[in-house]
Amino acid sequence: MSFLRLQGLVKRFGDFVAVDDVSLEVEKGEFVSLLGPSGCGKTTTLQMIAGFEEPSEGRIYIDGKDITGVKASQRGIGIVFQSYALFPHMSVFQNVSFGLEMRKVAEAERKARVMETLDLVHLGDFAHRFPRELSGGQQQRVALARALVIKPEVLLLDEPLSALDAKIREDMQIELRGIQRTVGTTTILVTHDQSEALSMSDRVAVMNEGRLVQVDMPYQAYEFPETPFVSSFLGKSNKFSGVVSGQSNGKLKVKVGELEFEAEAGRGPCEGPVHLSVRPEKLLLTAPAEGRFTGRVHTRIFLGNHWVYQIDSPFGPLLASHHNAGIQSVAEGEEVGLTWAVEELRVLAPEAGDG
Amino acid sequence: MAEAIARGKLIPPYLLSTPALLLYCALLLTPMLMTFLLSFNSFDLYTGIKPDYSLANYLEVIQDKYFHVIFLRTFGMALVVTLICALLGAPEAYILNRMANPWKSLFLLAVLGPLLISVVVRTLGWALLFGKEGAINQTLMGLGLVDEPVKLIFTSTGVVIALVHVLVPFMVISVWASLQKLDPATERAGLSLGASQFTVLRRVVVPQVMPGVLSGSLIVFALTASAFATPAILGGRRLKVVATTAYDEYLNTLNWPLGAAIAILLLVANVIIITSYNRVIEKKYAEAFG
Repeated sequence: MSFLRLQGLVKRFGDFVAVDDVSLEVEKGEFVSLLGPSGCGKTTTLQMIAGFEEPSEGRIYIDGKDITGVKASQRGIGIVFQSYALFPHMSVFQNVSFGLEMRKVAEAERKARVMETLDLVHLGDFAHRFPRELSGGQQQRVALARALVIKPEVLLLDEPLSALDAKIREDMQIELRGIQRTVGTTTILVTHDQSEALSMSDRVAVMNEGRLVQVDMPYQAYEFPETPFVSSFLGKSNKFSGVVSGQSNGKLKVKVGELEFEAEAGRGPCEGPVHLSVRPEKLLLTAPAEGRFTGRVHTRIFLGNHWVYQIDSPFGPLLASHHNAGIQSVAEGEEVGLTWAVEELRVLAPEAGDG
Repeated sequence: MAEAIARGKLIPPYLLSTPALLLYCALLLTPMLMTFLLSFNSFDLYTGIKPDYSLANYLEVIQDKYFHVIFLRTFGMALVVTLICALLGAPEAYILNRMANPWKSLFLLAVLGPLLISVVVRTLGWALLFGKEGAINQTLMGLGLVDEPVKLIFTSTGVVIALVHVLVPFMVISVWASLQKLDPATERAGLSLGASQFTVLRRVVVPQVMPGVLSGSLIVFALTASAFATPAILGGRRLKVVATTAYDEYLNTLNWPLGAAIAILLLVANVIIITSYNRVIEKKYAEAFG
């Protein structure tokens, strides 16, 4: 029995359907990310779990109890807001202590729990500072401590890292994940940042246009996207449109323009028009004669630990990315052969309105 | 070299502000200084103002019970008006801020409306409402709620009502400004931590808009303490405040030096109250709001 259960959640604002039949089951202690572009309904879903929006249809269960009609203040859910929403007129200690005061926890225990939680987020020495005296990363951790100190049944994180700069964001991802493992709170993270979702969660729930598109473990979702949307939203991908022309021993033959590629018949469709997708890191550069087809390096970018190539090909621009293995790479303007291992080519159903 | 540049950079701003400074000196500082000097002269009913200097006028105001009552009434009224404005204006701003357009703009206009009307016209309007045969009394008596007319005109109550009416916008604007800085997510954070809507208001919203309420109070207090037209028209001849008393000394008794002393005392009292109040607020909120 799952701990947090969303059952057929729908939210309409007038004629606009923000969330369309979202069902999701989350295990106790699991870390699930709702990932999608802005306006995909992920934040509205979070607001409904938190109790700030009422679902138009559907129900929400925590630990088997239906909490759909319960007031936000009675749900016992911890929330870390995008803006942190710290109380500016209260010290760090008072901020964290607020939730316990509301629960009428005795003073001695309250003090102990506040300090324990502040230590957990490494802010034990900052208890008497005011929020404006802290850096963004520290404010973020106060917000986390404030949400965790009430021992919430579910922890909701609303784009918690988006206001931090890149370096701190990476550190916080690791720290946040570590803290979540330590306290074992069931956690829902809302984000539009795929690397955040992939690196922190046990499972990723990709949303688009109000619907859940795919729910999978990060590796699975990345390697085996079920739709072209997921494949392009989770990381980058090179896409070709083709038509299935035949099948033999579990392999599909797909005709793309003049060429025909083999692919494993997997989760995707087995006939008709399809989308082929190959990740930039799986697109290999070879000598011109050894490739499946040839292209010309248009731009080459060095990113320290890897190279990124933009290649002009008969199918339009393609991206390839390779580890910096210490050898001189292919130069701009050079002709290269392009290939991939058969099992790296994914066959997906074409999306409506998708070229 | 660096010094020359620094000096070169400093001169133009001073030059540019010279005309305004001159105007300010000529039109504000000079009359103030003259009033200040005048307040030390003495006055004789038959010979008029005498060019001697003494503290007699100040002593007269400080020692005479008649003036004590007037000063107490003025600052008491200022306190009451400030309190009522805070109690009305702060919730008003909060509610306005949560309204959706077009109601928001409409109601904001209604709140700011009094500022668009001449003080004399507005006050005479109140006089019409407050009078023995005024609209308020006619309604109350027509409904049978009172047997004889309620006395509103020429009373402190009437003056306070009219002053609140015109000064509440200053409070609303001031609180409005601090509401713009309030992150609505802090209210939700309070709710999610288990606080009721009322507790959120009391412990999360009110403390955050308090600086706005306090600075609004300063404005309202200062304006009430020095108000002239409203107490003059609605308070009449007997319900005097400091500003109308100074006016009477000047124009009725023709004792200009005494009027000047009263005016200076009002100014000094106002400045002392406001600066000490401001210092207390700053101390209280410096830590959290900077």
